[in-house]
Amino acid sequence: MDPVMLIEQADPHGHTILRYRYAGAGTECTIGRDLGCDIVVDDEHAAPRHALLTLLEDGRVNVRDLGARNVTRVDGKRVPADTGAILEQGEIIVGRTRLRVRTRHTPLGPERVFRRDFVTRHRTLLAVTGVAACMAFGAFVQWLDAPSSMLVSLTKGALVALGVIALWSGGWTLMTKLNRGSWNVRVHVTIASIAAALCAWGSWAGGLVAFATQWSFLVKIGIAVVVATALAALYAHLREATHYGRRVSLALASVVTLVIGVIVWVVTIGVDDSDVNRVALGPDVRLGAQRVVPNRDIADYLTEVDALRLAAGRERQKSLLNAPLADAED
Amino acid sequence: MIAALWLCGFASVAAAQETEKPKEPVAETPVESPPVEQVPDADVDAEDADALDAAAVEADIVAQELSDEAKDRLDAARESVVQIRGFFEGSDSSAFHGSGFAVDDGRRIVTNYHVVAQAVLFPRQYRLEYLASDGRTGPLQVLAIDVRNDLAIVAAGDLELPPLKLRSEIPAQGERAWSIGYPLNLGLTITEGVANGLVENSIEQRIHYTGAINGGMSGGPALDRRGHVYGVNVSVVTGRQLVGFVVPAKHIAPLLARAKGPLVESLSAEQLRQRVTAQVLAYEAEVLEAAPDADGTQKVRGFTLPTRLSRHLECSTFDERSPHVRMRVETISCQMPSRILAQPGVYVAGLSVQHRILQSTGLHPLQFERQVNDLAAGPRRAGALAHVAPFACRDALVSLDGFDARISTCVRQYRLFAGLYDFDVTVVGIDDPGSALLSRLTLQGVSFDIGRRTMERYLGALQWTR
Repeated sequence: MDPVMLIEQADPHGHTILRYRYAGAGTECTIGRDLGCDIVVDDEHAAPRHALLTLLEDGRVNVRDLGARNVTRVDGKRVPADTGAILEQGEIIVGRTRLRVRTRHTPLGPERVFRRDFVTRHRTLLAVTGVAACMAFGAFVQWLDAPSSMLVSLTKGALVALGVIALWSGGWTLMTKLNRGSWNVRVHVTIASIAAALCAWGSWAGGLVAFATQWSFLVKIGIAVVVATALAALYAHLREATHYGRRVSLALASVVTLVIGVIVWVVTIGVDDSDVNRVALGPDVRLGAQRVVPNRDIADYLTEVDALRLAAGRERQKSLLNAPLADAED
Repeated sequence: MIAALWLCGFASVAAAQETEKPKEPVAETPVESPPVEQVPDADVDAEDADALDAAAVEADIVAQELSDEAKDRLDAARESVVQIRGFFEGSDSSAFHGSGFAVDDGRRIVTNYHVVAQAVLFPRQYRLEYLASDGRTGPLQVLAIDVRNDLAIVAAGDLELPPLKLRSEIPAQGERAWSIGYPLNLGLTITEGVANGLVENSIEQRIHYTGAINGGMSGGPALDRRGHVYGVNVSVVTGRQLVGFVVPAKHIAPLLARAKGPLVESLSAEQLRQRVTAQVLAYEAEVLEAAPDADGTQKVRGFTLPTRLSRHLECSTFDERSPHVRMRVETISCQMPSRILAQPGVYVAGLSVQHRILQSTGLHPLQFERQVNDLAAGPRRAGALAHVAPFACRDALVSLDGFDARISTCVRQYRLFAGLYDFDVTVVGIDDPGSALLSRLTLQGVSFDIGRRTMERYLGALQWTR
């Protein structure tokens, strides 16, 4: 089979901008700034005639440096001036320009079956379901307040939920349009609404379960699930709307989640959210006898209250450290 | 009940607002001028004017009699009364001010504890000075304090004033009385009114004086017809008309016996605060845990509710305006008729119980719970953090007598007074989907042990029978 080499020239970001294909043993290709070269690079760090590539009989490529001051490199290593380098595939650096070389020796890998992912396939159904779940939650929260005019309130709650999703998804679809040329509205709506609905309904139901079982760790798990959902949603949005790879997307999503997490933490500092019985924060339901763990009796509880003497003392010490009493004597 | 509105700390409040104001011209209106209503209109003719003159003269005589009496009281007491002013560190303008008067041998001056409280609690930050009627000034030392009766004895080394005589009997209701002091920094002032005997619902003895008492008159003498001191001006109900309070003079003698030497010389700031705390605790031990005459509970809709945890608690029942049309709220609220002031703006020895029975009239259980929770959450975490440390809380589900409840107890300690705590206990009954008990016990500035014991009695008494 005739030896072939494919040279791909990349821009500084690594994106391929030009491809050159050479066939036949002994074919030569010069690279440099000179217009007489086969591959002309617009790079002030490259010599007029920088490197010479020769396609060998066995299908490999010989790379020679033509005496440039910025020595030609293959996969990061300098090309020896006398012998040159032989390669089956790799990256050649000329000045600052990167060129990827492939030959018949480069393994191709098996053919991958084309499959649209689950979200893309069912995007209409998922988007409708997600939006409906969010609107239902908005309406439910309004209903809980038992308003005098039910219809107006429910509509208001549902519309607020709808508006929030529309704004959030709108931003992402716009980014997708700019980056990829298509809107992908339904996919973004699906991601946003399903994640929001999971968090909202999950928190509400999770609070109930935590209260019923009196297992305070469930609250922590709930928070972890909400954070994970937010992270996953951001990741999915980024993957859909940008060209970023998996790692970059994950890193970006993590950073955003972390920042939001820190802000939430700072805002709620001092609120002990691990207590499932906190009157101000706990769930709205008094489950009566349907609890897994039995109640304390008064004596037990009073023993716990005794511990508050120390806790209050610690709070006072902290408070005095933060803001000492006005009198200089103390 | 109204006592909750007392403005004991008005000396410092008035100082903050009034010191910089120029004197108002009203203060210079001569006392002898006839009452304004008697003055004829400017354009009446001469004949009518003669007839009116006779009436005006007669009215004038009556007015003269009253005015003279006030004038005599003031003239007799003028030299005995001083203005007491507090200064912040090296500042020249006063931070707070009140009044005081000489008693005993003329070397001791009686005033209110709340007038000198800042100087007692922060001896390095505040200094006290007197300003006598003849313009003399000099430093003052606090010799003794009585937090419970809001009294203090102060003295200045060189100062000797003509002492006022004390009268230890309570004046009869309707007896004419006068109060002297330096209101709002307007200069020495006398007001005239009527003593109305002891206040009925107060724990501490207070004489109700129907006459003007204003900020800055605190600590000034309240005089009877003979010019004897029957009490010390102490507080006023704000937003009402001429409801003032006077501490009976009989509490001065025991305090004078204790006034040996300047407190600041013998005690550190910490010890002074402990002394204040100790007086508060002695009061609480007597008052907060005083057992009620009868059962002390009330039965409402199956609930047995502790209402009178102390004999002194006063309760009222009312149909509270419900936050929701499909819910009824019945409230029983009990509180102490009076509290005491430990520091300007800080009232302690407070105890209140509030029971609310909520009944759903057509709300879904989930909706009802939301209403209950909203009401239960309340503003309990509010509080002036300058005086108290943050709350430490403990919430749990507890089985009470006949029902289960979600109980949240929050405790915080006072920054200045290590021995004093605030308790806030919220109980939410959780058994019935259509009705709920929302009960709350609040203790202000009590010892931890009293707080815990009160809590135990309170939780132990709550009961529900279906």
